[in-house]
Amino acid sequence: MSDASDEELLRRARNNDTAAFEELVGRSRDRVFGVALRILHSEAEAAEVAQETFLSAWRSLGQLSGDQFSHWVHRIAANRALMRLRHQKVANQVEESIESPKFNARGSLIESVADWAPTAEGASLDAELRRAIEEASQSLPESARQVFLLHDVEGLDYQQISEITKDSVAALKSRLHRARLAMRAAIDRFYAEKGSEP
Amino acid sequence: MHTCKEAIELLAAYLDGELPPAQKQALEEHLGACAPCVDFVATYRQTPGLCKKALEAKMPKDLADSLSAFLRKHTAA
Ligand SMILES: [Zn+2]
Repeated sequence: MSDASDEELLRRARNNDTAAFEELVGRSRDRVFGVALRILHSEAEAAEVAQETFLSAWRSLGQLSGDQFSHWVHRIAANRALMRLRHQKVANQVEESIESPKFNARGSLIESVADWAPTAEGASLDAELRRAIEEASQSLPESARQVFLLHDVEGLDYQQISEITKDSVAALKSRLHRARLAMRAAIDRFYAEKGSEP
Repeated sequence: MHTCKEAIELLAAYLDGELPPAQKQALEEHLGACAPCVDFVATYRQTPGLCKKALEAKMPKDLADSLSAFLRKHTAA
């Protein structure tokens, strides 16, 4: 591990310094692998996407300006993974259900919020909560899951996601909101059940 | 903003700072008078951060090692 900035490493990598490139890869491979894995659900395929991504990055280092390496490879990986996904996908027009808050006939909230234990910045997450979140994310409708993972987990902005999915930003925002509501409900259920334990 | 349902519908835009002033004010008035919605907003805000922590993946060591080997082979001068 070196202390050099991404920008410095990038400058060296452009001059064919493979050790500097390797350091850049080490810093960004979890995010690259992660975005591909979340889209493709296959470690083997995500690993292939990571290989393609970094190789293509190496070959076009000259086109990249500034210190945007991790952002750039992250985006290449997301694009490649989604391209693969489109080829795999069988047409499926079934309307999937998604959990939303409960209101009464007058539109007032009729559920109470559980006590969410604060998770300190940088602290690791309770393993059971992690599992509950993973399960909930897997039961989201695919289109909502995709925007939720790309935006809230992987940190792409709406414009980038729109380029990837070809959906309007308005449609993405609405889907993201639905996904967050469902994820919030799952986390709330987790804390409610935990709170009711003796 | 008369109902919780309407308020929650606008949450994402509100937190993105994209609501027109009149709607923003109406939403804030609702929140000022509705404890359940205040709790709801607080937990809605925490949701993305918790999910990010839970869902961020790490590349398994064997795959990371093969990636390094692959790149070494293909980036060698
Ligand atoms: Zn309310």
